[in-house]
Amino acid sequence: MRPKCSRADTVVNPLKKLMNIPGTGGARDIFHTGCPQDFCGQNAGMIARRLGHENLGLGVGLRTVHFSHILKNNPPVDWFEIISENFMDSRGRPRYVLDQIAERYQIVMHGVSLSIGSTDPLNREYLQKLKQLADEVNAFWVSDHLCWTGVATRNSHDLLPVPFNEDTLRHVVSRIRIVQDILERPLVLENPSSYVTFAASTMSEWEFITRMAAEADCGILLDVNNVYVSSVNHDFDPEHYIRSVPHERVVQFHLAGHTNMGNYCIDTHDGRVIDPVWKLYQLAHELTGGVSTLLEWDARIPPFEELHAEVLQARHHMGGQLDHLPPPVAAPDTPADGSAVPHPLHYVLPDVR
Amino acid sequence: MPHKADYDLVNIQRWMQSVITHPLGVQAGIESPAAQDEICVQPEQVEGVICPSRNRTSIQRLEVYGNAYFARLLECMREFFPATADALGVDVFDQFTLEYLQRHPSQSYTLGHLADHFVSFLETSGEQAGETGAAHWSDFFIDLARLEWTIDQIFDGPGVENDTLMSTDQLAEIGPDRWPHARLIPVVCLRLLSLKFPVSNYYTAFRRQQKPAIPTAAPSYLALTRKDYIVRRFTINEPQFTLLRALVRGEPVGAAIECAVEKVDDLDHFAETLQSSFKLWASQGFFQRVELTQNS
Repeated sequence: MRPKCSRADTVVNPLKKLMNIPGTGGARDIFHTGCPQDFCGQNAGMIARRLGHENLGLGVGLRTVHFSHILKNNPPVDWFEIISENFMDSRGRPRYVLDQIAERYQIVMHGVSLSIGSTDPLNREYLQKLKQLADEVNAFWVSDHLCWTGVATRNSHDLLPVPFNEDTLRHVVSRIRIVQDILERPLVLENPSSYVTFAASTMSEWEFITRMAAEADCGILLDVNNVYVSSVNHDFDPEHYIRSVPHERVVQFHLAGHTNMGNYCIDTHDGRVIDPVWKLYQLAHELTGGVSTLLEWDARIPPFEELHAEVLQARHHMGGQLDHLPPPVAAPDTPADGSAVPHPLHYVLPDVR
Repeated sequence: MPHKADYDLVNIQRWMQSVITHPLGVQAGIESPAAQDEICVQPEQVEGVICPSRNRTSIQRLEVYGNAYFARLLECMREFFPATADALGVDVFDQFTLEYLQRHPSQSYTLGHLADHFVSFLETSGEQAGETGAAHWSDFFIDLARLEWTIDQIFDGPGVENDTLMSTDQLAEIGPDRWPHARLIPVVCLRLLSLKFPVSNYYTAFRRQQKPAIPTAAPSYLALTRKDYIVRRFTINEPQFTLLRALVRGEPVGAAIECAVEKVDDLDHFAETLQSSFKLWASQGFFQRVELTQNS
C-alpha cells in the first residue's frame, strides 16, 4: 500500500527548523502546519490536507547562480526546490553544494523528465536515480509535470500536453501508480502551461486532474501562473479552474512570471509575478488553507535578495479580501517578443581554471 | 479524414513530435511522411487534431512548440560550447548545431548528454569537406569544442575530492629498484588531450573576455583534472603527454618512460625534468595511488 503521508509529517531536521525560525518573516506562523489531524472538509473523505505534507512556507527554486550567495549568507528562506535532473547524475560541484544546502534547508524535488504521459515505457533507471536522490537529500516530496516529453526514445526537453480523455486518464493513472511504488512515496504532479488543446479531449484539464489525483492517489502541484497562461491560451476562466481542483490534494503552489505575446502567453519564468496571478494565488490560498509556495525564476535571474523579496510578497496576498478577478486577457501594451522560449532548461556552467 | 476519436495517444504523440521537431517548421512537419504515417491530415485539416483558440489558429498554436524545440536546444548547446560558438559566430555555430540535432536528437532524460556526439560530428563534417592531414582551420574549432566538452565532463563527472591521493612523499618513498615496475593509477577525472591548435590559451583569453584572435596551428598537449570541484588545465609537452597516456593505459613507469623517450629530442633535458614532472603531477593530484607489483 502506498503511504498517504511522507515522513515529513513526523521527522523534521531540527537544524532545518532552527534555520527557519529567526528572521523569516514568520511564514511558519502565518500558515498552520500540517499534521495527521488536519483534514479537509468538502469531498475530502479521509484525505488529509496537502496529503499530510507539511506547509513548508515560502521557498525559491535553487539555481546555480545563487550557490555562492546561499552558502555564504545562509539567507532566511523557508525551503528550496531543486530541479531533480540537475543533481541526480551530478558527481561534481552542483551535488557538493546541494548536499551542503540540504543540511541547512528543507528540500523539495521537482523534475522535468518523468514524462508520465508518454506512451514510451517508463525509464526505470531514471526512477531509481530519482528515488536515490530523494532519499539522500531527505526530500519532503517529489514532483513533476502532467505531460510527456518525448516518444520513440526521443526527448524534446519540453513539457508537452496530453489530450484529456478516458484513455489518457487510464494510461496516466496506471503509470503514476507504478512510479509511486518505485519511489515509495506519493507523486505530486503539476499542471503545465500549454499552448495547444486536442480535438481528442473529452474533458477539461481541471476535471482530468481531479480524477487523476483521486484515482492515482497522488498530490497536485498547482502552478497558479500556468493556470493563468493556459487560460489565456485556451480561453477558459482561471478562477473556475482554481475553484474546481481538489484543494485537499494540493501539496504545493508555483508562482512565476511569463511573457505576454500579444494574443497568447508563454511561460518563460523570466520576470515578476503579475497582479492577475497574485489574485489567483490569493484565491487558491484561501481555498486550500495555505500550502507551500515557491517562486520559479529561470531566465534573466536577478540577485538572490530580489528573488526572495518577490516570493515574500505572497504574504500580502494571504488572507486578504478577494477583489473581483480581472479577466484573463493579454495586456495590449506588452511587446510581443518572438524569441521567447518556454522553460524548462537546466544546465550548470562549469568552474574552470 | 479520420474521425478524431480514431486518434489514440500513441498516434497523437508520435504525430506531434514529428510535427514540432521538423527543421522546416510545423507545416512541413504535418506534411512529412513520419507525421502522415501517424495521422494523415494536411495543414488545412489540422483543426481535426489540434483545436484553434479564439485568437490563434491550430498551426499558430503548434508553432509555439515548434519554435521552442530547436531554440531551447540551441541555447543549451551554446552554453555547452560558449567559446566555440563565439569563435565560429553564433549563426554558423547554430547551422552546425541544427544539423547535429537532427542527426543526434536527445534520447536522454538529461540535457547533460545532448552534446555527447558533437565533437565527432564536427570531425566528420571536416572530413567530408576534404579537410584531412595537416591542420586545417576547421581543426581549431574542433579542438576548441573538444576542450570545452572535456571541461564540462570533468566538472560534473566523478571526482576524488573525498579521497586521499598519492602524495609527493609517497612518490619519493618508491625506491629506484622498484620505480620502473610501479604503476601509478590515475585519478578518475584525469583527461589528456592532443590538439592541433593551442586552444587552451585561447579559451583562457575568451573566459577573460579578451576577444582573442584565432591562433596559428601548432601541436599542443593538455592534462586536465579536477581539484576542489574546479577543473584545472596543465599544458604539457609531447613526451609528457605520451608518458601520461601510457600510465593511463596501465603501463608501469619504466615502460611508460620508454614510450615517452621515442618522442624526445633532448634526452638530457627530459631526464633532468622527469623527476620534477612526476612531483608536480603528484602534487596536483594526478594519481590516486601507486601499485607496487611483486616484480617491483
